[in-house]
Amino acid sequence: MRRRSFIQSIAGLTVVSSVIASCHRQRVIGGSVIGANFHTGHLLRDKKFAAPVSTTEHAVVIVGGGISGLSAARYLHRQGVRDIVILDLEKEMGGNAACGKNDISAYPWGAHYVPIPNNDLTEYTDFMRECGVITSDAAAPLPAYNDYYICFDPEERLYINGQWQEGLIPQFGVPASEKAQIQQFLDKMQAFRLAKGQDGKDAFTIPLDHSSKDPAFTQLDSLTMKQWLQQQGLTSPYLQWYVNYCTRDDYGTTYDEISAWVGIHYFASRKGKGSNAEHHDVLTWPEGNGWLAAHLKQELQPYFHNEALVARIQQENDTLAVDYFDVKESRLKRIIAQQCILAVPQFVAARILQDEARLQKVHQHIQYSPWMVANIRTKELKERSGPPLSWDNVIYNSPSLGYVEATHQEIRQGIHRRNLTYYLPLTAHTPAEGRKAALERTHAEWVKLIVEDLEKVHSNITDAIEEVNVMIWGHAMAKPLPGIAHGTIRQELAASVNDRLHFAHTDLAGNSIFEEAFYQGLSAAKKVMTHLSGNI
Amino acid sequence: MSKKESGAQWLLLTAVFVIATCGLIYELVAGTLASYLLGDSITQFSTIIGVYLFSMGIGSFLSKYFNQNLLAWFIRIELLVGLVGGFSSALLFIVFPLAASFRLILYAIVLITGVLVGLEIPLLMRILEKKVAFKELVSRVFTFDYIGALLASLIFPLLLVPHLGLIRTSLFFGILNVGVGWYLAHHFSKEIRQVVLLKTAAITLLLTQLVCFVFSESIMSYSETMTYDDNVVYSTSTPYQRIVITKNKHELRLFLNGNLQFSTADEYRYHEALVHPTFSSLDQPEQVLVLGGGDGLAVREILKYPSVKQVTLVDLDPAMTKLFSRQEMLVRLNDSSLLNSKVHVHNADAFTWLRSNKTLFAAIVVDFPDPSNFSIGKLYSTSFYQLLKRALRPDGIAVIQSTSPYVAPKSFWCVDTTLRSVGLHTIAYHNYVPSFGEWGYIMATPEEPHRWFSHLPAPLKFLNPTTLQQMLTFPEDMKAHQLLDINKLNNQALVKYFEEEWGKYLEH
Repeated sequence: MRRRSFIQSIAGLTVVSSVIASCHRQRVIGGSVIGANFHTGHLLRDKKFAAPVSTTEHAVVIVGGGISGLSAARYLHRQGVRDIVILDLEKEMGGNAACGKNDISAYPWGAHYVPIPNNDLTEYTDFMRECGVITSDAAAPLPAYNDYYICFDPEERLYINGQWQEGLIPQFGVPASEKAQIQQFLDKMQAFRLAKGQDGKDAFTIPLDHSSKDPAFTQLDSLTMKQWLQQQGLTSPYLQWYVNYCTRDDYGTTYDEISAWVGIHYFASRKGKGSNAEHHDVLTWPEGNGWLAAHLKQELQPYFHNEALVARIQQENDTLAVDYFDVKESRLKRIIAQQCILAVPQFVAARILQDEARLQKVHQHIQYSPWMVANIRTKELKERSGPPLSWDNVIYNSPSLGYVEATHQEIRQGIHRRNLTYYLPLTAHTPAEGRKAALERTHAEWVKLIVEDLEKVHSNITDAIEEVNVMIWGHAMAKPLPGIAHGTIRQELAASVNDRLHFAHTDLAGNSIFEEAFYQGLSAAKKVMTHLSGNI
Repeated sequence: MSKKESGAQWLLLTAVFVIATCGLIYELVAGTLASYLLGDSITQFSTIIGVYLFSMGIGSFLSKYFNQNLLAWFIRIELLVGLVGGFSSALLFIVFPLAASFRLILYAIVLITGVLVGLEIPLLMRILEKKVAFKELVSRVFTFDYIGALLASLIFPLLLVPHLGLIRTSLFFGILNVGVGWYLAHHFSKEIRQVVLLKTAAITLLLTQLVCFVFSESIMSYSETMTYDDNVVYSTSTPYQRIVITKNKHELRLFLNGNLQFSTADEYRYHEALVHPTFSSLDQPEQVLVLGGGDGLAVREILKYPSVKQVTLVDLDPAMTKLFSRQEMLVRLNDSSLLNSKVHVHNADAFTWLRSNKTLFAAIVVDFPDPSNFSIGKLYSTSFYQLLKRALRPDGIAVIQSTSPYVAPKSFWCVDTTLRSVGLHTIAYHNYVPSFGEWGYIMATPEEPHRWFSHLPAPLKFLNPTTLQQMLTFPEDMKAHQLLDINKLNNQALVKYFEEEWGKYLEH
């Protein structure tokens, strides 16, 4: 080897290694954007369907396999009804309780916990007992909750003023005057939690419709949460951030939009108590509410018909003609049904029913908030000072809601790689603009946005991330705007059509939580039972 | 052959001798260092020797591409060998705690040294080919080569490692290598172009290595060894923990993640106290479970009871149990307990394992690390103790190492409170282990046994019936003096007590 060529090859090596290094720096983080099937979904809006190619008959058709639909099907099944079909656009039933799995753990794509149930929700607590969440029998004075499902400690932490603190209520670096306001606010919420109306009912409870109609409370539905805070003189920016965080977290709605009544409901409606759990405890699983959905689904498998887009439902004599587009076969098919439950959001229901008046009403009154949820697969992360990695990890003043750690409920030692589920309600624009902007964003742009947010708390996030998968929920949930909870619109939209067609969805419940969906399904199913006849 | 020619020849042959010695030394240094740091000396030595010899082959092959200025090239290579070889062990010691792919760096160094050393002999033979008859040349060069190798293999274990240590040994030979290079450059200065450059490089190198040689102690301090009082004889990072073993004249110590687990000087005090109170209270125990305790030292004590038919040991880290069933020194320490046919080792997560376990045990020995983080805290929770209770025969006993009741009384009694909360009866006790200080243990039983401490096996080094009784008494400063929370998965009360108490203690 000549000296020159020796030097050249050394130089070559240097070039190669610096190229490798620079690739590393700007490495492309893998993963993809998964939409809750909006392409197929939009066919309903945009496509003209031909005549169906086949016809079958069933006693009950349930459109939508989210929690409402599954809960309805489960009730009917328990009542002995077997001639059921559940149609859903997605490959898996579960709706907002969707989940995924990789080599580390399962993880949620949407809703990821439920609070300790209120003790008077008998059907719901029975369900909880069936899936082993409640371990004591129904006669026990207080239900005992399965310790493995109550969120482990450390539960929540907030990154604020340069370090992590325990819990999400701002504490670290908060001036005394603001702390006093925060305490005032919490005291007011506690009073609302215990309050009863003139009618003797709880002022705030679950399901929302069981709450008192006492105007002393319902009048709060005519103003926004922010207005109410102003009225109360609760002007602390830290408090306002916290309240806004909570309303965004549960409803994808900012506090200057949400009804004050629903905003307070979030803080005041939880009254559950167990022998080993309090109302502020939550139940969670690696796959989030997908775990509960799986239990709902257990005995319903034979009824499932996935990748089925319901295109229209028409009255035909004494029956309903349900036409659906079979995505796999790319053909339109018809089911003749006695009874039908539309367990889909109202904007979809209106299109399926080809009911222009309903569609107008929905557009006028209901807004659906878009969300982005990302699942981040990562190696060990560097930490700022303060409490260690918790279940829920929130960054003060971030547009995101922070992330939830999916392996938190695992008992094994030596977990070094993790799944972080990152939540971002797209509240910066109007919902329509938000949806459009979200669908136009590339994977790389989402990753950049996430990394920039999380870099504040984990300096090595770029190197630690193995993969990011992004899910866009175009219409994640109906916003509980003023006038929805205690106005008339929900009743108008929820009224059954000709005793054959019933509605069940959380946009009719007033807020989007698991219990509401569960009871939406139950009450629709009960209506179906009163009208069913013949071979079921 | 002129006198001058002959002098040159002998000078070059001396160089062969030095080079051969240096070459083998570097190989030995790499092998020793790898066995020290990575363990499993057979694998380390054989792969390093293999890679080294193979690299020398590459060097020999490459030698044909050197066609001009052979002597200058020879000197350059000499300096390079001195540089790479001389600094090799210092570099490896520094890099070891930092680099993820330590092996890669190790083998890269072995490879580079091997290639360079492999180049030397062929080049030298070609330099000498016109000066000496081929027959003579081969004979002389290889004679000196092999004598050098013998010398190296003798002085390395007998003189160098004991007196100089690894870092200084390799530096010393680096200096020799560079020295030879410099002398050759000096001697043949008329035959070499740019000789000044070479000599300057050589002198710079010499000075640097001399400085490093003098300050090698502080290089060691950069590496992890300084964290420990004694010499690190073994260390490894597993997916679960960092295992470090240190040794001085009197004792061997095991550290997991920097926390002392035992010292051979007094581990018998800990392990006798952990095992015998429980076992001496049982009637003919047969099925035994050990959770944690991958060092096999608790098992060693358990095997002193002939009635024991099977010991199931569940330890998370295969590296740990492997180490304590293979490493000679450690196997001697645990009396080959992990190799005993009664002992079944499962490398599994204890919590997960216990959840799926169906066997009932007469005794369960729980030897986990202290609850210093939320992950380990789960292994001290009500949920875990419920599983423990389920795995115990009604007349069985579990014993839990429960940190220091002197340093952390709240933590200690929190474990007691938690065990009682799931319906177990408990007996707390403690003893003094010089390496740890006052240490605490808690026995837990579904039903109170009839005969506590009825039959201790003989001979024990620490326990006798009187000390057994003494261990049950707690002075005032080892009591909690307050009502304590039960440690649950959803409050992790113990970790908070532990952090508070040990945090305060370590601040002093």
